[in-house]
Amino acid sequence: MSKLAPIRDAVMERLPQRHRAEQRFQAYGLTAITLAVLFLTLLVGSILTQSLAAFTAHRLTLPVTLERELVDPRGDGSEASLRRGSYNAALQAALRDQFPTVHGVGELRELFGIYSAINASRLLTDVVNNPDLVGQSVDFEFPISDDADRYLKGASVSERQIDMNASLSIEIAGNVARLEAQEAVLAPFADRLRQVMADRANRYAAAAEAALASARQTIDPDEREILEAEAQRAQMRVQQLNERLRPGADFLLGPREPSLLVRAGDTIVRLTSITSGGREATGEVLLADQAWSGSVTRWSFWEIETPAATRLITDRQMVFVRLLEERGLVRNAFNALLFTNADSREPELAGVRGALIGTILTMVITIFLAVPVGVGAAIYLEEFAPRNRLTRLIEVNINNLAAVPSIVFGLLGLAVFINAFGLPRSTPLLGGMVLALMTLPTVIISSRAALKAVPPSIREAALGVGASRTQAVFHHVLPLAMPGMLTGSIIGLAQALGETAPLLMIGMVAFVADAPNFGFTGFTDPSTVMPVQIFIWSTSAERAFEARTAAAILVLLVLMVLFNAVAIYLRRKYERRW
Amino acid sequence: MQISVYVALALLVLTAIGYLVGRRQAFVAAAGRPSELHSLPSYYGYYLALWTGVPALILLALYGLTGTSLVNTLAMGELEREAAPLIRAYDTQLAQDPDLSRLNDAIAQLEADAQVARSELDKARRDGGEVAAYQRSLGDLTVELNRLQGEISQVQDRIAASIAVRAPDNLAGDRARAGFEYWRATPDRRDLFLTDARALAFGEGFASRNSSALIAAGDAMRPWDEMFRWSSAGLAMAMALGGLTWMRRQITVTFRARNRLEGVVSFALFAMSGIAILTTLGIVLSLLFESIRFFAAIDWRIHEFLFGLQWSPQIAIRADQVGQTGAFGAVPLFAGTALITLVAMCVAVPVGLFAAIYLSEYASSRFRAIAKPVLEILAGVPTVVYGFFALLTVGPFIRDAAVLLGYEDAVTQSALSAGLVMGIMIIPFVSSLSDDVINAVPQSLRDGAYAMGATKSEAVRHVVLPAALPGIVGAILLAVSRAIGETMIVVMAAGQGANLTANPLESVTTITVQIVMLITGDQEFESAKTLSAFALALVLFALTLFLNIAALRVVERFRERYE
Repeated sequence: MSKLAPIRDAVMERLPQRHRAEQRFQAYGLTAITLAVLFLTLLVGSILTQSLAAFTAHRLTLPVTLERELVDPRGDGSEASLRRGSYNAALQAALRDQFPTVHGVGELRELFGIYSAINASRLLTDVVNNPDLVGQSVDFEFPISDDADRYLKGASVSERQIDMNASLSIEIAGNVARLEAQEAVLAPFADRLRQVMADRANRYAAAAEAALASARQTIDPDEREILEAEAQRAQMRVQQLNERLRPGADFLLGPREPSLLVRAGDTIVRLTSITSGGREATGEVLLADQAWSGSVTRWSFWEIETPAATRLITDRQMVFVRLLEERGLVRNAFNALLFTNADSREPELAGVRGALIGTILTMVITIFLAVPVGVGAAIYLEEFAPRNRLTRLIEVNINNLAAVPSIVFGLLGLAVFINAFGLPRSTPLLGGMVLALMTLPTVIISSRAALKAVPPSIREAALGVGASRTQAVFHHVLPLAMPGMLTGSIIGLAQALGETAPLLMIGMVAFVADAPNFGFTGFTDPSTVMPVQIFIWSTSAERAFEARTAAAILVLLVLMVLFNAVAIYLRRKYERRW
Repeated sequence: MQISVYVALALLVLTAIGYLVGRRQAFVAAAGRPSELHSLPSYYGYYLALWTGVPALILLALYGLTGTSLVNTLAMGELEREAAPLIRAYDTQLAQDPDLSRLNDAIAQLEADAQVARSELDKARRDGGEVAAYQRSLGDLTVELNRLQGEISQVQDRIAASIAVRAPDNLAGDRARAGFEYWRATPDRRDLFLTDARALAFGEGFASRNSSALIAAGDAMRPWDEMFRWSSAGLAMAMALGGLTWMRRQITVTFRARNRLEGVVSFALFAMSGIAILTTLGIVLSLLFESIRFFAAIDWRIHEFLFGLQWSPQIAIRADQVGQTGAFGAVPLFAGTALITLVAMCVAVPVGLFAAIYLSEYASSRFRAIAKPVLEILAGVPTVVYGFFALLTVGPFIRDAAVLLGYEDAVTQSALSAGLVMGIMIIPFVSSLSDDVINAVPQSLRDGAYAMGATKSEAVRHVVLPAALPGIVGAILLAVSRAIGETMIVVMAAGQGANLTANPLESVTTITVQIVMLITGDQEFESAKTLSAFALALVLFALTLFLNIAALRVVERFRERYE
């Protein structure tokens, strides 16, 4: 007894420490799972928030007059003639009707830049389908450009309008406007902008300082030269800014500064300089009658804080779009084009329809190749194959094939199916074949597992009453293994549904503006699939494609959830335990 | 196309009829006593249907695979025969043209010079002498050679044009011109010619150009095409009907229909499992074949490919620079792959392993029921989605964080962001494999540890984990192989510049990224640049195969120990 006491003491002494270690260990495990869940939430959450902007779009409805001489150049109303009409001119005319005072070439180009000309092709289709429309006026609805859409959604530009109640006289001569107020109403804005510019000057100065400091430290002459040049550039900027900020100087506004717009009714002026301490200003006319001068008391400031140099939409285009919105011609609605259009270079017209059809056609080929062949191979290996070296080789081979990187299957498709057999590239037929080869090992492995799970008593009973081996398998084992096989196959096919890399290898990454025919001939039409569409959009430069990519991802995820839901349903319904 | 579809449908109907006829014939043969039959009546039906449908469908499939090229070959052979006078005239003109013989002499001279320069270069390289001068002169010679060859083809084109106008301006002349143009074209121009002619004749896609010769060629194809279509359709129907009547006559009471059918079925099943072998063979052979062509293109400097430090396949487009600039040194790609894999493993292994331990040792069954599907969802998300996440969420976040911490040169496409996201993707892979392995450790081991007074974590750390170690190592090896072969995340998030760096905040490139870049670029398939993708893929395939075999071995041994 006396010997045990010190041992017990030692154990008791260490016990709290050991329990703490236990707690810690458990906490690690919980943290790991929490992290995984957190990653998933982050992933889904970020895609959800990014996709929201793609589900709505601003659409412009214009009364378009289809003048006969514009849309029917030969004047005979024939389809050939109607197809040669210039429908974009009709659209442009309709837009000019909204802003009759816009004249200059550059200004018109800005005006026509708020939509993409390809919309006219839909107008053409409408007219060809219904030639009676010629000579009439129709309300034509079409999406505005992605930049304008992003602006109206407040995604690309931060701005504010301040209503003023002070006397302001405006004098317009040509493109230049002179503004004069009783009080220094412009001073606060000028001061704030001055502050912004001063801050920028300070930042440039600091950057120049830092570059000079690291230039002194470096020993590489090339690098020193680069750093010194950098410092010089920054110093030059500082100088320019200081020059413009000199006390007493006229305050000039350029494209690197926020834009200051003065709006009185439909007269809109962008200020280019503020003088006399904020009482007077000159500006560029964005929208006004040719010659107009007068005095107003109710007007507003329109401060666009995002400088013109850092946005894709010009001041004037913002004015056009905003005015159209105020006139009730632009409204934000559900973006049906995302689902009814195929791919397009213009984000506002791009949709997933082509990719969806391509995915369905590709998966049809994959299912009809991978499932029968995979199930057949599994049946052979599990039920018929003699245990010899060949069978073992096939088994090892299948296990390894399951872990071959998917991109290698794409190269196989390129080298064998395209270059050796001459199958047409970029087609669902080819994509389906490549994906089927890739899915085959998964299907075989899961089907074998399902066959293995059928108890041997079933087989023995069948053989015992005189069934042949084939009959025992096809009449008794296979029906029982079918649900398990289906679940495994669906999981493999879901993997194929989300696969991208092998399809890049066989040319399915090409831009396809037309959706493939949703029928028998579609299998050999060039097309793309959802994951590849996502890849194409994610590498596009336009910011508007970001939201569309996220939306396409959501569509793909919904597809995959449906696929897996079917698998789970089948498992629940037919699952049998022995 | 249309006819084949109708024929295929007709064959299906015939097959169904075959089944019915076979069954009926069995009853007839049994003379009203079906129990006398060797097999069940439906087996006779199936067997007859097999003989009706399968040979004919195989014939149709063969026609579908080879028909187009057969028609092309026959039609163009016909046109080339008609172009024989033009070809003869062209050959005599070529032999007589003074410009051409002068140019040929100059080329022969240049080639001799190049031969000398090349051997001098090799000598200089062996002796460690001055190489650059020889390389420069060799480059100059190549440029000159290319210029002369361009001139030759110009002269040839001129002569060909002068010959082609001699053909009369009617259908026969157009056909002769088509044959002549096709005869003169290089293989890939021939393909284009055929595609265009078919497009004009059969409306398959859009023609890139339109000429009377192309139309004539298309018209020459049409009769052959019709003939093959109808003859294959007729032959298929005849085979189906022949099989039907012949086999019908074989059916007697003692006919062993079931055994024969089962023989066919088991052969078909065997053939299906053979497809797996064929796939592997196809992969290995195509990769090997194209890699050999690549290595031949870089003068068999395989060591430079495997150990070279510079990867810039763009330069290598110019003819004589291949291999000499060391542009195909793949080490930066291997290093980039290793770096990203390392980052991924640093995320996936601890998180996945601890998740597996918690799930299998601590979690209640309700917790498991929720947590496991969540992990499985993580595994089911397509990789392109992870790529998007890495590109737009994780990448900018890491860059901003790095800039905030004072690392000014941070980029969005960094090895860290790609590796991190890849790690997230692999977590469920590691955790489910480790979960299996940990569950396979016998309960008696744990019970023994508890009996000694161990806490749960001590049992896990000192007993379960050591016992499961081989299996866990196998799981990690499989995860590494998965990470090495992963493509979309790195294509979107890791960048394309081949930097040789160990800094995870810089952008690196991987084997898979380069394969995608090389194949999706718009150059010809024959160039060394495109072929190098296959050599990279061969390395990738060998690497993952080795890892898989090793992992499977390790796991198998582990299983044996406890079963």
